[in-house]
Amino acid sequence: MAQPQAVVETPTMRPRARRSMPPVTRGALWALIGYLVGALLIYVVDPQRGHPFLTEPAEIIGWLGAVIGWLLGVGALEHVIHPLVGIEHEEPRYEGWRKYFSYATDHKVIGIQYMFNSIGAFGIAGFIAMAMRVELMSPGPWTILFQYPEQYLNAVGIHGSLMIFSVATVFFVGGLGNYFVPLLVGARETVFSRISGIAVWLMPVGILSIALSPVLGYWTAGWRDYEPLMQADPSGTVYYYLGVAAILISSFIVSANLITTILFQRAPGLTWNRLPMFCWGILVTALLNLIWLPEIIATFLVALVSREIPLQLFTAHGFPLLYLNLFWLFGHPEVYIIVLPALAIWQEILPVMGQKTLFARNVGIIGLAFVLLLSGMVWGHHLFTNMSNQEMLGFSFFTEMISIPTGFAYLTSIGTTWNSKLRLNVPTLFVLFSMFNFFIGGITGLFVADVPINFQVHNTMFVVGHFHYTIIGGMVFSGLAALYYWLPKLSGRMYDEFWGKFAAIATFITFNFTFMQFFILGIDGMPRWVPVYPRYMQGLEDSISIGAFCLGASFLLNAWVIWKAWVKGPKVGPNPWNGRTLEWVTTARPGEESFREIPVVQASFYVYGDGSQPAVVTVPESPGVTA
Amino acid sequence: MDIVIFGILWVLLTGVAEWGVHDWVMHGTYYITASNTAVISQDAFNFLLFAIAPIVVFVVLAIFYPAVRFHARRGETGEAPVQKRFNPVMVWTWILVSFFFNVFVWVHPTASGLQAFWNAQTAYADSNPLIVHVYGRQWEWIYDYPQYGISQAVDKNGEDILVLPVNRPVKFILTSGDPFHAYDSRVDVIHSFWIPAFGVKWDVIPGETRTITIVPNKITSTAENPRVRVQCAEVCGAGHPYMITDLRIVSASDFAKWVAWEKAHPAD
Repeated sequence: MAQPQAVVETPTMRPRARRSMPPVTRGALWALIGYLVGALLIYVVDPQRGHPFLTEPAEIIGWLGAVIGWLLGVGALEHVIHPLVGIEHEEPRYEGWRKYFSYATDHKVIGIQYMFNSIGAFGIAGFIAMAMRVELMSPGPWTILFQYPEQYLNAVGIHGSLMIFSVATVFFVGGLGNYFVPLLVGARETVFSRISGIAVWLMPVGILSIALSPVLGYWTAGWRDYEPLMQADPSGTVYYYLGVAAILISSFIVSANLITTILFQRAPGLTWNRLPMFCWGILVTALLNLIWLPEIIATFLVALVSREIPLQLFTAHGFPLLYLNLFWLFGHPEVYIIVLPALAIWQEILPVMGQKTLFARNVGIIGLAFVLLLSGMVWGHHLFTNMSNQEMLGFSFFTEMISIPTGFAYLTSIGTTWNSKLRLNVPTLFVLFSMFNFFIGGITGLFVADVPINFQVHNTMFVVGHFHYTIIGGMVFSGLAALYYWLPKLSGRMYDEFWGKFAAIATFITFNFTFMQFFILGIDGMPRWVPVYPRYMQGLEDSISIGAFCLGASFLLNAWVIWKAWVKGPKVGPNPWNGRTLEWVTTARPGEESFREIPVVQASFYVYGDGSQPAVVTVPESPGVTA
Repeated sequence: MDIVIFGILWVLLTGVAEWGVHDWVMHGTYYITASNTAVISQDAFNFLLFAIAPIVVFVVLAIFYPAVRFHARRGETGEAPVQKRFNPVMVWTWILVSFFFNVFVWVHPTASGLQAFWNAQTAYADSNPLIVHVYGRQWEWIYDYPQYGISQAVDKNGEDILVLPVNRPVKFILTSGDPFHAYDSRVDVIHSFWIPAFGVKWDVIPGETRTITIVPNKITSTAENPRVRVQCAEVCGAGHPYMITDLRIVSASDFAKWVAWEKAHPAD
């Protein structure tokens, strides 16, 4: 007779805890508790306690307590703290939509979490932009929508901050980068997947901190928060600094994670010479992030400390220009952080849609690298109106020079579409539109970089037109291109071709109608950050506002097309575009193991026609849910 | 063959574009130029317009021509018929042309325009310029004419006003702060002294003194043309949108009359 099997129970094993509260709810509750704990800590040591209860130091420490509570509640307790101290228990499994509202280590889930944060922030900031445009339909002297001018100025600041820090910096890197870089290099997971799973939960913290900061007091200094104005502004500035710091720390972690994954997790045969273009773009962008995000976070911390103690670092007793230089040292590389993934995605999509070899691929990569090198040498062109004369020529020279490597992306893209068999579908249309828009942005940049012209157009709507053309035209249009391109992979379904094309063309026309007029308005004398203006400009302002409302509608249309496709579009196979890169090799959907067998790469992803081989040696059977 | 068609289209459309630019330049791109600095700025702007027209046409054509000429027909599949990985002539021409174009526009109109601007600063420094001390504070521009003993120039309604004689160099001394009230200057913020019709702005930084010399060359006023005004061009708080003053450029005799009037009616 067989002996009954002895069961050994490890003392540290806990039975699976039945979580009664969803992670986000628990996170919010613990955040509230954390805020009160932090505020009470300050209350206890405050010599004038109680008047008021929430002083600025209390708001800061309370916020820190809230962030700790939030992160713990959302999943860091079970997944980071408990393993650190040796408490093990079964990780709860979430299925369906619930897995996006909890801690996850799957890079595909994290990527979608980042994308939702980005798109949500885009919606908030876009709605604010619509409010700004309503306000600007009336020349004044009284404001019509906002009660006070500082409310309008605060709206402008929130719009800019959310768009730059949580949309433009995050969508391509934290969002699409997290999802597709491991797939593109043939990896099942990223190197730092655990901390990445926590880092994404800093995004709602940052976005809400910025969006709700006016509750503490309207701050007027704009997304650049120039000193000494920021020191003098009401308390809302505190949550600007902290919110932006939270978002940037999240981006920093993403960048470190993706660089390491590209360095060390490439599939066999995926040599540096075969690295996909989008990965080159993300690599260069992530390197820029690693260099410059610590600089700007440190600058904000110094500014916050200088505000709280207070110190005189950036006031008339100190050196205001120091802050401006510290800001733009980051601020200019930031715009390349925003646009480099877009330049890379053109070179990713066009070869597939044209079924043609990527032309002069090495030149494209050199372009990305030289933009990286030059990006830190041009920041002074934001400061022509307050720098000393001897600095002007140098900054102007490097600003002209950086347009050359930026143009290499056009060289490769145009060389690829020439003599191709270009399928004019929605991703292609968005890429071509993006190339046109970014070019207009770049060529108007030539004007802004010219110092005598800069003296006139600096801080006018001309500059606002320039950077909306580069950012929306470059990054947002390319982001939409990438979203439509990868939608079959993200959702397993295809969008409606007619409505997709309609949305693309509508977005392009409304965008150009709106923002082309900004250049005229700027030359005509319209400054930035004003809700009222001399009456002679009302015609143009009204025309722009109408265009802006139509542009907002076209973005909503795009959202509807994508949502409809995701939920009930026709199902498609793993590779509807006949692409060659590795993400088309797997059929997996989010939450599943990407590659059952790691593919082995044997040839370039970007060579078509005679003399090309299949890029992958073994096509692994990957598990996939076809539903 | 496609290259020939592309070339012909490029030349034709560049011709159209240059004709359009010429038309715009003739109408005056800057709407009004009322000083030497505005002329320098506008000249640079106009030159760049002419210079970029062929480039704009080239790139826009290169983006959309393949979409029209080389697109896949409905239902057509398969790879492109011609596969070219590299074309040294095209690549090196592109790199060299873009390099030399950028160096060229850096020399002219950037460096040459700056040269003209700096020459104007130094040339007029010794020529007995009119001195106007501009104080920028939240949210007011205060104009002090030390040579005439006018501590704050105001109009009949008590609003600050800047009045300048035509064709005489005026040296603006820009500082931050209110000269009439004692307070800690740590609360001062950055402003930017901008006159749209003069084509130039210069930042006012707390704790620093900056100068800029301009020669107005047209008799005009805010009432005649609203672009002739002073407006703050750097966000400086809630009152930033309202930090505007009128500007009048008058003949020498009218200026003398105005000075006399100001001295007879001091601001306080």
